[in-house]
Amino acid sequence: MIRLVIAVSVGASLAFGGAPMLLGQATSYDDNALRIENQRGDMLVVRGAAGNPVGKIGVFRGLDLRKLVGSSEKATVEAGKFVRDYKPGMLLVSVGIVAMGAAFASRQIQDVNPVITIGLTLTGIGLVAYGAGRLENAYNALERSFWWYNRELQH
Amino acid sequence: MKSRYFWAFFFGALVLGVSANAQQTSDRPAVSPASAATGAKPAAAVGKGSAAADSARAADALPLRFETSWGSADIIRGADGPVLGTVGWFRGFDVEKLVESSPRAVTEARRFQTANFRGSLVSSIGAATVGIGILVAGSNANNASTPIIIIAGAGAIGWGLQHINTGYAALSKALWWYNQEQAR
Repeated sequence: MIRLVIAVSVGASLAFGGAPMLLGQATSYDDNALRIENQRGDMLVVRGAAGNPVGKIGVFRGLDLRKLVGSSEKATVEAGKFVRDYKPGMLLVSVGIVAMGAAFASRQIQDVNPVITIGLTLTGIGLVAYGAGRLENAYNALERSFWWYNRELQH
Repeated sequence: MKSRYFWAFFFGALVLGVSANAQQTSDRPAVSPASAATGAKPAAAVGKGSAAADSARAADALPLRFETSWGSADIIRGADGPVLGTVGWFRGFDVEKLVESSPRAVTEARRFQTANFRGSLVSSIGAATVGIGILVAGSNANNASTPIIIIAGAGAIGWGLQHINTGYAALSKALWWYNQEQAR
């Protein structure tokens, strides 16, 4: 009889072998999944349901995203796209805004050639539009990078 | 005698395996949130058989993400999955309904909808104001108030874009919480 009970117990424990793994997957996602938080205009990378800060994303000094998501190959590729587009995008938008400001200022001065004003305005608009496109590509790549990283935590 | 142990072993595994499976299944909503949001009927309801129901359930379990494109964002299920809806610039896809299985995701979705509408409205008014300011500056009616109009319009655009940015951060968070619920 005792052998029968042992056989039932062993069978049951083998059947439950998958359950702790599922629990482990959920815990891994809860603790390690990455996301972006917007904190007073800053992009902050946080980890897990508790929202533990990992670092900021910035132009001059910031987080090494490729290293952060290095455990996932696809996430690393997307992080590379983000790095490639983010800094030039920010720079182009900033220069474009300065050019539009200069155009606006030159309009207030009587002696300035109107061609300069128009040129500055068009250059500014072009730079802002192109830079915004690069920034959009960067943010999409960032979103995809975290998506892949988080997805691989579930597998 | 040996065959009795085998059957006992098999029975123990079967009973507990089935109960564990039932527990996992009961954690999932009966109707997938994606089906609820899009109004599509679940595969099981249209009687396509259990294989179709299983593949539909597997597809619904894929995590959500979004991709932006000039002021709007497509909500996508899975890596190459279908676009479930488009949000942004006065578009009215019901994100709250899509993520209704997670209360925290619903809170963030609500925050997204409020911030996105407010931001879209104010930045559009700002853009119109700047446009009027530029037109006035180029005409004979140009006076001291023109720079004020342009600066006010630019300020409104900045404020609106800040709110749109906050909205998309909330959308990202909503999908994160929803995906977290799905991972459980």
